Amino acid sequence: MARMKFLCDADRCIECNACVTACKNEHDVPWGINRRRVVTINDGKPGERSVSMACMHCTDAPCAAVCPVDCFYTTADAVVLHSKDLCIGCGYCFYACPFGAPQYPRVGNFGSRGKMDKCTFCAAGPEGDSTEIEYAKYGANRLAEGKLPLCAEMCSTKSLLAGDGEIIAAIYKERVTQRGYGSGAWGWQTAYRETIDV
Amino acid sequence: MQEKQQTAMNRRNFLRAFGGASTTAVAAAAVTLTPGEAQAYDPGEEETRARYRETEHVKAFYRVNGYETLKK
Repeated sequence: MARMKFLCDADRCIECNACVTACKNEHDVPWGINRRRVVTINDGKPGERSVSMACMHCTDAPCAAVCPVDCFYTTADAVVLHSKDLCIGCGYCFYACPFGAPQYPRVGNFGSRGKMDKCTFCAAGPEGDSTEIEYAKYGANRLAEGKLPLCAEMCSTKSLLAGDGEIIAAIYKERVTQRGYGSGAWGWQTAYRETIDV
Repeated sequence: MQEKQQTAMNRRNFLRAFGGASTTAVAAAAVTLTPGEAQAYDPGEEETRARYRETEHVKAFYRVNGYETLKK
């Protein structure tokens, strides 16, 4: 059985935020919520790296481990989803998640911030596939339509990969092998000079 | 004075008696409402089944992300 995974090739990410915009548009994500965001390390300095982050659909998801109402479930293709009908907006999952994936529509304390929202790997939620009610709560169900998450599909530099973990790992491995002398082949050392300290 | 003390005693007795009764009630409730095993949310087989299919669309994604295609 294929296991769904995201993989961001940090040497290719140019921090264009197209993945963030595509996600917000595709799922009609409300103001204040970003299911995906681009994190930049050493911004503006040589060796700057950007990586696109969202829910990583962990195998043993810490969000599910701490949820007091057990609203999380994992599908057969290893996508971590949740039920907004059960969620009480306590925020425990936000503290447990190492990637900061869970988001809330309102700023507030325990229980007043609304139902948690996060990346669904474009697989929506427990309601019927591609129904209006499912779209309103969780957004589009592209996986049921035979497609992959839109963030990865429209990545301009082919940095963000999504799909069967084994296949995207093979694609990434091939890239790393072909780049030759490490990541410098695609990065700052190629763009400027060989001696730059990365 | 004596009367005043008696009133005070009565009040304390009442509270003690009330406290005793409520403790018994809580104990009785605990016996009748024995909590079972916590049940994790199970949305059912239909919703947890795999949605991913290797369609032509998906294959095209893998193909264009492969290095040989990127090189061209």
